[in-house]
Amino acid sequence: MTILEAAHALRKRAVSSAELTETALKSVRELNPKLNAFMTVMEDSARAQAKTADAELSKGADRGLLHGLPIAVKDVFETCGVRTTCGSAIFKDNVPNRDAAVVAKLAAAGAVLVGKTGMHELAYGITSNNPHFGTIRNPRDQDRIPGGSSGGSGAAVAAGMVFMAMGSDTGGSIRIPASFCGTVGLKPTSGRVSRYGVMPLDFSLDHMGPLARSARDAAATLQAIAGFDARDDTSSREPVDNYLPPADCSIRGVRIGLPENFYFDRLDPEVDAAVRRMAANAESLGAHVIPLRVPDIPALNAVGRIILLAEASAVMEKHAGNRNLFGADVMALIDQGRLLAATDYINAQRLRRMMQRDFAQLWRRVDCLFTPTTPMAAPRIGETTVQLGDQTEDVRLAATRLVRGINVLGFPALSMPCGVDRRGLPLSLQIIGRPFDETLVLRVAAALEDAGSAE
Amino acid sequence: MKNWKKIAEGSDISIPEPDLDRISPALDALEAAFRPLTKEIPHDMEPAVAFYVFPEAAE
Repeated sequence: MTILEAAHALRKRAVSSAELTETALKSVRELNPKLNAFMTVMEDSARAQAKTADAELSKGADRGLLHGLPIAVKDVFETCGVRTTCGSAIFKDNVPNRDAAVVAKLAAAGAVLVGKTGMHELAYGITSNNPHFGTIRNPRDQDRIPGGSSGGSGAAVAAGMVFMAMGSDTGGSIRIPASFCGTVGLKPTSGRVSRYGVMPLDFSLDHMGPLARSARDAAATLQAIAGFDARDDTSSREPVDNYLPPADCSIRGVRIGLPENFYFDRLDPEVDAAVRRMAANAESLGAHVIPLRVPDIPALNAVGRIILLAEASAVMEKHAGNRNLFGADVMALIDQGRLLAATDYINAQRLRRMMQRDFAQLWRRVDCLFTPTTPMAAPRIGETTVQLGDQTEDVRLAATRLVRGINVLGFPALSMPCGVDRRGLPLSLQIIGRPFDETLVLRVAAALEDAGSAE
Repeated sequence: MKNWKKIAEGSDISIPEPDLDRISPALDALEAAFRPLTKEIPHDMEPAVAFYVFPEAAE
């Protein structure tokens, strides 16, 4: 059942928020011992919120599509009075005295917060194999990683525990778990969703967005959380659009760019075929697929890595001397950032501006880009390398290769399922849009879902 | 390539030697990808940083 279907059922009185919430809590009780998707379960407050939602809806006080629906947020979002660990031993006893802006907006929309989802330590990695809080497992194959860093959110949505779970994305951390778990994941434009009250990994690359069961569910969530927030210095005053694609949405005439360089290099052949099939499906729905060359993505990724290493190490510098507080993989990244020169960080930010200018030219020719989200399906837990073509590649670098650069540019990007491979593992399409055009990205994804392309 | 051990020592950054050995190849690879890009930056190109007006100042 999707958010739209549940919202319809609630208003027909076919089901209550209390019933949906009990179903979610039961599912968490049954599945979480295996998947470890949830860090904290908030049974009592969830039941109270559900009771309030039912009372409000019965009086005709309707807060919108999320009203009364069980959801979760990654443990990077501050929750007043509820432990927020960021998946780190440093913050294992951290209990904030405020709600993140996103948490407050979801509450105002009437959503029922079932709990906090697990994550890769400090949101700094893609496996969600957390040395402090345990390994999170992929519901599609429990021997495999769910991706990360929002791995608990991906697992919770894919397992059907909640309708939607919020994630954060600094170098792909919403889209990678969406890809590996087979959900939709939306990284909005920089500034579209407030970062206030979210524990930072990187000041200039962090983005907040939903993992959900469908494009329309992601749209319904974005509608609730988008908008200007004076407490976030990167927050945009760009007007909030109506994001929800209509039931019979059309993509006739939409110009879809299909990169001829970089994005289709070194892929699992099944990923390549699945994404090209999606482009063909879009064409059959009336879109124009335009082959084109994109600017230098490896350079963009190098710039993104310099910025991330430097900023994340700056955030963690005061803890860096206490090495036993960090997992080995995260400590290695923090050490790398501490050795970079200040001039390299500044020059990476100068190159970032150059690249933003170069990439902006793309939007004269196309309305969005189709690329794979990840070059492969979910790796096994503990795998550190992956074989792609004739090359062996580090799993983290492979998983972030096609998504990291978009955080540097700030464009919106959505990952959606596009079938399964020979082992039954999800494959995924990434749709990249022009700044603040989440509406088109979501419409294209919804049209493909309506046509059955995501199955 | 840069000598990361000397950079760590010179900056008084305490990183155990085995850990430095482990991260050096990654830093070398990043250095090789990044260094040539810096030569393309126009002299007057400014960094992509956000201009922040504190809410108090805007009132």
